[in-house]
Amino acid sequence: MIRFLGVRLALLAPTLFGVLAVAFLLLYVAPGDPVQAMVGERADSATIARLRAELRLDDPLSRQFHHYLSAAARGDLGRSYVTRRPILGDLLERFPATLRLAAAAMLFASLTGIAIGVYGAWRPGSLPDRLATLAAYLGISFPVYWVGLILILVFAVTLRWFPPSGSSGWAALVLPALTLGMRSVAFLARVSRTAMQEVLQSDFIRTARAQGLPERAVVLSRGLRNALLPVLTVLGLDFGSYLTGSILTETIFGWPGVGRYVLDAIGKRDLPAVQGSVLFLSLVFVLVNLITDLLYAKADPRVVYD
Amino acid sequence: MPPRPLLLLAALWCGAACTSAPGPDTLTYYYYSEPRSLDPALSTDVPTGEVVAMLYDNLTQFDVEGRLGPGLATRWETDPSGRVYTFHLRTDARFHDGRPVTARDVRASYLRALAPGTQSGRAWPLDPILHARSYAAGDTSAVPAIAVPDDSTVVITLEQPLNVFPKLLAMPVAAIVPAGADARFGDHPVGSGPWRFVSWLHDHALVLARNPDYWGPVPLADTLRIRILPEALTQAAEYESGRLSVVEIPFGETRLWERRRPAELQRRPALRVFYIAINTTRGPLRDVRVRRALNHAVDIPTILARLMGGRGTLSAGALPPSLPGFDSSRTRYAYDPARALALLAEAGFPRGFTLRLWRSQRPEYARVAQAVQQDLAAVGVRVEIVERDAASARAAARKGETDLFITDWYGDYPDPENFNFPLFHSRNRGPGGNLAFLADSALDRLIERARRTMDPREKEALDREIDRRVFELAPWIFCWFPEDLWAVQPDVKGWRIPAIFNGQRWNTVQRTR
Repeated sequence: MIRFLGVRLALLAPTLFGVLAVAFLLLYVAPGDPVQAMVGERADSATIARLRAELRLDDPLSRQFHHYLSAAARGDLGRSYVTRRPILGDLLERFPATLRLAAAAMLFASLTGIAIGVYGAWRPGSLPDRLATLAAYLGISFPVYWVGLILILVFAVTLRWFPPSGSSGWAALVLPALTLGMRSVAFLARVSRTAMQEVLQSDFIRTARAQGLPERAVVLSRGLRNALLPVLTVLGLDFGSYLTGSILTETIFGWPGVGRYVLDAIGKRDLPAVQGSVLFLSLVFVLVNLITDLLYAKADPRVVYD
Repeated sequence: MPPRPLLLLAALWCGAACTSAPGPDTLTYYYYSEPRSLDPALSTDVPTGEVVAMLYDNLTQFDVEGRLGPGLATRWETDPSGRVYTFHLRTDARFHDGRPVTARDVRASYLRALAPGTQSGRAWPLDPILHARSYAAGDTSAVPAIAVPDDSTVVITLEQPLNVFPKLLAMPVAAIVPAGADARFGDHPVGSGPWRFVSWLHDHALVLARNPDYWGPVPLADTLRIRILPEALTQAAEYESGRLSVVEIPFGETRLWERRRPAELQRRPALRVFYIAINTTRGPLRDVRVRRALNHAVDIPTILARLMGGRGTLSAGALPPSLPGFDSSRTRYAYDPARALALLAEAGFPRGFTLRLWRSQRPEYARVAQAVQQDLAAVGVRVEIVERDAASARAAARKGETDLFITDWYGDYPDPENFNFPLFHSRNRGPGGNLAFLADSALDRLIERARRTMDPREKEALDREIDRRVFELAPWIFCWFPEDLWAVQPDVKGWRIPAIFNGQRWNTVQRTR
């Protein structure tokens, strides 16, 4: 296990290097000029040339990359061209909001998704199962943007149960978490339903039933525990992607997370901010995956990492 | 006492975001994006410019109607050459930390905005000052042209006479900060304006509090909360829930709001012109007859009425109706496809040609682009629409790579100079604002004269002449001057749409119950 952890952590550096190299190249060839975005609508060529020189944008790409890498290795992601603030500080300031939203969305998605899936596997073809399946498909099919706006319209503007946007207090968390979690609910329901169906047909369930265990214990403690393994994988992947920012949800609900930060940075061609975010978020994603793998081993004794 | 992990958890979940609901003495405004900084030297964008006007003072400033009035300077005069401006400062102005505002702070603020290390990129309003440019380039280490004979007098010498200079000093970048402001200033601003800084949770909200010691009108409300809300539909929802004091109505929603909340709506002609730049250096577009043909070929009145909710005034020139120099007697290029065909034939293009029309991703631009494409096809001009994000589209237009480019121009200050000079002087081709790449020496001379003269009547006559010449040269497909439309909560009193973006300082706004 220790060795597995060591190998995975050792692989982290080349992974992040690759991510960074690709991000750097993509931004380099992308049209649009960060300095043009900095100076706004009215500028003269002399100012633009001066700023380009000050920001070292005229250096050869290899030197820019080298310069960036050596700073990043020291944990310095540089300063934003636009705001002049340190990028790492900006990201750390926004990450708790993203974490809060991701956790809430995941909690909602896993509770509802797994419940729907387990019920569906236990009573396949029943009316609630069919309704839930339909709802799950709809949840996957509707665009996040649309779902978010409808939720705002119904629960904030008309019913006034929750604020339409913002991040102050618990109530503001509900609508964005529902919006973000919706897609995962559907997916989790499908995965847990299939896994549960398989498990319920296995020998040890028949044994448990034969031993006279109450049905609830059979399904929930024997069945669910074994069906959870594939669910865990889905949870890990989705949580990883939530943590890397959910641009649409954050934009609709004015949520101050990292997704909006990245979107803003791209729009303004704020190169160091985009690169810093990509690096930071890749690190988060890789770490979440690593933790998922470790949990997997914990949950299933048959899985041995060596 | 709850166990510690619970406290920690609560802190993590709630964080700094937990704030109480806005009380009756709180006004709530919003920006569509984060201000770049609260440091005036970095104000490139509208949100920064607006918040700078609340936190700071300038020597001169605009009121809500866009009139230039005294700020920290109670009066100013120009010498006969038009190059030397003397500003007399008020003595009762104090920064939020209690220090008095002196002439030395004024000089320090301007030098700071110009200094190379600041990386402002937006100090052009100060460029007319003698040697300011070489100071910004790092070639000289002082600007003796900003003289401070005593604590309450500033004497500024310009490179050339420039009549709009007092208006340039009302721009956000020329706001006065305490001498010695450092790089951290952008997050911990200290100004002398009607509002003081309280907190800024990035991408979420800015909180300002009334400055009870303000020398001008002290704000009527205690608190001004400015939220960051990028999405127009969310802004509308927040307004409808009573959580925003005012909201701007998107063009596409005009009819809906006119039907549902007519009593809350407020209008004002914007200091803005919507246009399609014709690159006058590319292919057939070099011929003025072709450019006029394009103007005759597009049915602008229908586009304005159908696609923009009729919110605007058709334009026959570049100067908005609110500015001196606007000529209401000029008739626009009429929608007349037959005339367009004749002009194209006369110019040697009886069978038309192909053009590329660039636009950014704003939804209203998409519909306009399609309408233009259709209208031009009817006279044989085949249009290929190129859609890019705002930064890429603008970069291409500035490099001269676009044939046609749909865009608009927001006034920085209410003066014809702010339209004529950046948009049409040959010195400003490309990044300077002249996206038509127009280079007409007669026009250049007129524009230069209009900038120099100290006679307002002559200036107005020149500006009218410039606008006429621009209209004849047809460097744009002339479209319209948009109209601002905002909704204001019934309990919010004293708020007016400002004529210029930094003209609304929220100190005369209040909520009544």
